[in-house]
Amino acid sequence: MNRIVQGMNIKEVLKTVREADGYYITNTARDLSQSDFKNRILLHTDLLAAEQREKAGYFSLEITGGASVHVDILRKQVDPFLKLKLLREAMPNTMFQTLCRGVNLFGYRPYPQNVIRLTVREFAKYVDVWRVFDFMNYIPNMKAVFEEVQAAGKILEPCICFSTGPEHTDDFYVSKVDEILDVTGEDIVLCIKNHGGLGTPKRIGDLVSAIKDKHPDLVLHYHGHNTDGNDIGRITAAVLNGANIVDASDHSFCGFYGPPPILSVMQTLEDYGHKAVTVDPEAVIASSDAIRDERPHYEIFESQFKGFLPTVQIHKLPGGAMGSSLEQADKGGFLKKMPDILHKELPLVQKELGNYWSVTPGSQILWTTAVSNVQGGDRYGNASGDLRNLLLGKYGPFPFYKPADWIYEKVLGPKWQQVLEEEGGLEDIEDMDLEKERQTLTERIGKEPTEQQLVLYLQHPNDAVEFFKFEEKFGKVYVLPPSIFLKRGGFDLGEDLSFNDHLGKDHLITIGPAQEDEEGKTTIYLTVDHHNRSYIMAAEQKAGAAAAEPEIGKEEIEELAAVGDVRAPFTANVCEIAVEVGQEVSVGDTLVVVEAMKMQTPVQSKVDGVVASISTKMGAALKPGDKLLKITNEQEKDEEE
Amino acid sequence: MKKKILVANRGEIACRIIRAIQELGYTAVALYETPDNAALHIRVADEAIWIGDGPRIDYLNIDKIIKVAKNHNIDGIHPGYGFLAENPGFAKACEENGITFIGPRSEVINNLGDKVTARRIMAEADIPMVPGTDNLPADETEAVKKAIEFANRVGYPVMLKATAGGGGRGIRQVDNDSQMKEQLPIARAEARAAFTNDNVYLEKVVLTPKHIEVQVIADQYGHTVHLGTRDCSIQRRNQKLVEIAPSLIKDDKLLDEICDTAVRAAKAANYTNAGTVEFLIDKDMNFYFMEINTRIQVEHTVTEMVTGIDIVRTQIKLAFGKKLLFKQEDIQIRGHAIEMRINAEDPQNNFMPEGGKTVTTYRSPGGYGVRLDGFVYQGYTIPQVYDSLLVKMTVFGFSWNETVDRLRRCLANYVITGPKTTIPFYLQLVNDPQFQSGDFDTSYLDNHPELLEYKDDDSEVNKLAALIAEIHHKGFNPYAA
Repeated sequence: MNRIVQGMNIKEVLKTVREADGYYITNTARDLSQSDFKNRILLHTDLLAAEQREKAGYFSLEITGGASVHVDILRKQVDPFLKLKLLREAMPNTMFQTLCRGVNLFGYRPYPQNVIRLTVREFAKYVDVWRVFDFMNYIPNMKAVFEEVQAAGKILEPCICFSTGPEHTDDFYVSKVDEILDVTGEDIVLCIKNHGGLGTPKRIGDLVSAIKDKHPDLVLHYHGHNTDGNDIGRITAAVLNGANIVDASDHSFCGFYGPPPILSVMQTLEDYGHKAVTVDPEAVIASSDAIRDERPHYEIFESQFKGFLPTVQIHKLPGGAMGSSLEQADKGGFLKKMPDILHKELPLVQKELGNYWSVTPGSQILWTTAVSNVQGGDRYGNASGDLRNLLLGKYGPFPFYKPADWIYEKVLGPKWQQVLEEEGGLEDIEDMDLEKERQTLTERIGKEPTEQQLVLYLQHPNDAVEFFKFEEKFGKVYVLPPSIFLKRGGFDLGEDLSFNDHLGKDHLITIGPAQEDEEGKTTIYLTVDHHNRSYIMAAEQKAGAAAAEPEIGKEEIEELAAVGDVRAPFTANVCEIAVEVGQEVSVGDTLVVVEAMKMQTPVQSKVDGVVASISTKMGAALKPGDKLLKITNEQEKDEEE
Repeated sequence: MKKKILVANRGEIACRIIRAIQELGYTAVALYETPDNAALHIRVADEAIWIGDGPRIDYLNIDKIIKVAKNHNIDGIHPGYGFLAENPGFAKACEENGITFIGPRSEVINNLGDKVTARRIMAEADIPMVPGTDNLPADETEAVKKAIEFANRVGYPVMLKATAGGGGRGIRQVDNDSQMKEQLPIARAEARAAFTNDNVYLEKVVLTPKHIEVQVIADQYGHTVHLGTRDCSIQRRNQKLVEIAPSLIKDDKLLDEICDTAVRAAKAANYTNAGTVEFLIDKDMNFYFMEINTRIQVEHTVTEMVTGIDIVRTQIKLAFGKKLLFKQEDIQIRGHAIEMRINAEDPQNNFMPEGGKTVTTYRSPGGYGVRLDGFVYQGYTIPQVYDSLLVKMTVFGFSWNETVDRLRRCLANYVITGPKTTIPFYLQLVNDPQFQSGDFDTSYLDNHPELLEYKDDDSEVNKLAALIAEIHHKGFNPYAA
């Protein structure tokens, strides 16, 4: 038997793959969810598919990692560890795979070694295959994770991120593979991470062939996206040239930007004489059938744009960011400018910033910069904190060439060379005081956290705490199907909702009437397991009251900033308040850091003075023009006194 | 003409009395203060009269109530319990204004309400009593001297009691001489504030007694009978929570003796209408007269269940001069009854009242052997200014075990959400082996602090339903947006 099962060590796995007469398939359910459904596929749906996916005989099921850990706690209200535990119970044999952003793990910022160790140790209880990448293909950024995965005895799958352009030659990528092997040794699976679904089948075939020429025994895993509709072509070329494992997913949920259908891959390659060893096509079909009826409930999370986007070859946005970028354009009211942004500005920014790989967090830097360039008019005039860090080399050296001096000047200011000298370069990240973090978390949730809770907290402090509180209040909500959890527009009067709770007990809830009192409080009546119960909903802010305050424009925000009335620059969340009331500040000091689209941007003071009041708080959701804080001029203050 | 009876009370007892009045074919008239304007008693009454903004002061205003009664041609007034029920002035005002007071005569209320006079009457009738003093002298030095002398004679601890007190209020225990010096002026000041009468007296403390009381009933023609015993030993700080009929003491001869003594005591006091004679039983099964409550009591329902006699109906008939229709030998005690006071209180927060909260769910149990005397409904906001009793649940069963089993079933099926209630605490209680054995005294709750260790309704389905309600209300899931 060639079937690879959970629990086999890396040597057994590699030996089995090398000796197999055919190729393996990873079901990238996680990437399907991320790319085509904004990461919202619920555990409930994954559990429905579990039995058949287990039967299907995949190399692995990619079911966690990337942005999914964050979305699990932020939008799906499910514990990422519990999710893995339950899936493991339902799928004892299939290896689980994760996607790890190098030193950034599952978050957006670099972590110290001790946090990486703790995180890997906890996830390694459920996760067998660790796909690790760095958007600069800078191997030292991944080293810490490599070490911890290997120490945990799990299967390490380092990536070379792939893109196109004159610099992206076979020689370059082969040299990167060499660099990786120097660090990891030979017992790895190597992944070609084609997160944009870039290049032609021929290009991918050539690359696989070049790597195999140099390292004939290296087990290669090809990962692609179907944004242009041609990933099956690339997968086919990869396998024909020696790739051992390829990525695809369940056809009943396939969309446009994620993986292509497993069955189509198998059918295509079979005609070339290549067999997906151990995969049972009947189970592949049955998995799709098991979840087909769930798909309509996820429609709200599908892309605003329907259809393939072969123009990805121009703008290179990764499949995982397509849906959210289009949603942002739609919400921000600049959907009409998308052709301009995607086909002119974004490729230009990409080139100007060194033609690195458009994947998290690098893709967000490119995208935000391009949008800001087009929307603001003044190119690079409104640089995000992350762009600044990129130029300062905080993410590692540029792989091919540095951006032009004028960009440095625009972003870092007239004294940019001095700034670069003083602040530039990678920083050593010191170990965190985990006991102190544990104590802080204990205080915030009012009880001793588990190791797993601590891990989640270290990745996403505020969102993890919110999630823990949510679970206290609402219980284990993963038991609710998408038809309930994602319901829009309310249920029908008299509608019966049935589900089993996490202990297996079945329940029936019947929707009763709703009654609003004169203060705006609404009482919702439900029949819960034949008992009448009512739930009181607080009065909602009246739409009129909120709309009365007009949104203020960018110019006005700047004018106000010049007199110390600091406003939110754009729609974002507060992730740091850097000053306190009474603190003296000078021009250029960071007052507040806001975060939007995974990007942190400092709001700096335009005046010298003293912080008089702070009218926002940590985690607050801001609209453009919302009050952040006030700075008074000391002189004025003296006069007043 | 149809008799018109005014109910000078509120809450569950007002509803209870109104039912009896209406069953007799009379007109039931309710009173209410403004905070009670959504109360059930004014809905079920035939007429309801607003008497002021209160709170409490109008329910306690004798002049106002008499005036209202006269204006509405009221024939009789039932005072219920609490408020003016044991105020001799109120009974007297009724008598003077030609209104039938449904209870004993004002003179009797006056004599029995004054604990020292009551003790004197009982002593003359040879009723066994806990050793005690007369009212202590008004002079403080003199009072302390007398008190210490008494305490040393009968032995500490002793109880310092307000002469005009009752219902568990105005009582404090004193353990030694120095405490006596300290407590006496405080007790006096408290008595003055609470009962406008600063007389206090002493009684020897009967340690960990059982609290047994006897329901008596007497017509105006010299017929006095008893309706058996009740055990009210389960108390929290002298406030009864659970009452049982009949007493579970397995000595029938002793219980008969207690009941006979109660009838003798009532006769000695020239008692008419319904009343309760309270006794303490010590560890050696000695019993002592404590007091006579000259009103209908909260726990009268358990006696009704085991005797089949409607005490409130009987009260009304006797007050209007009817004779007792039954003799002592007609009264049969059959089965067991337990009453639990379901209060809007948080037992885990020192039984703090939950007034001001709205009852969001009200689902009561039913079936054989269950009786509810309450006044709450779904959507009712509990006024903050009155007591916290929501409903009395009385269950009846042929055997004690059957009754306890029924009680457990009913408590488990009782759903009240909004305010916290004593229900989960009672569920703990019915599952306690000592309670189930039926052998407990007044120290029971103090000795079982573990009964307070329970969790709120944090059932998984309730949590999930709360999320579903929110998804339904908002039109989307705000936690998945």
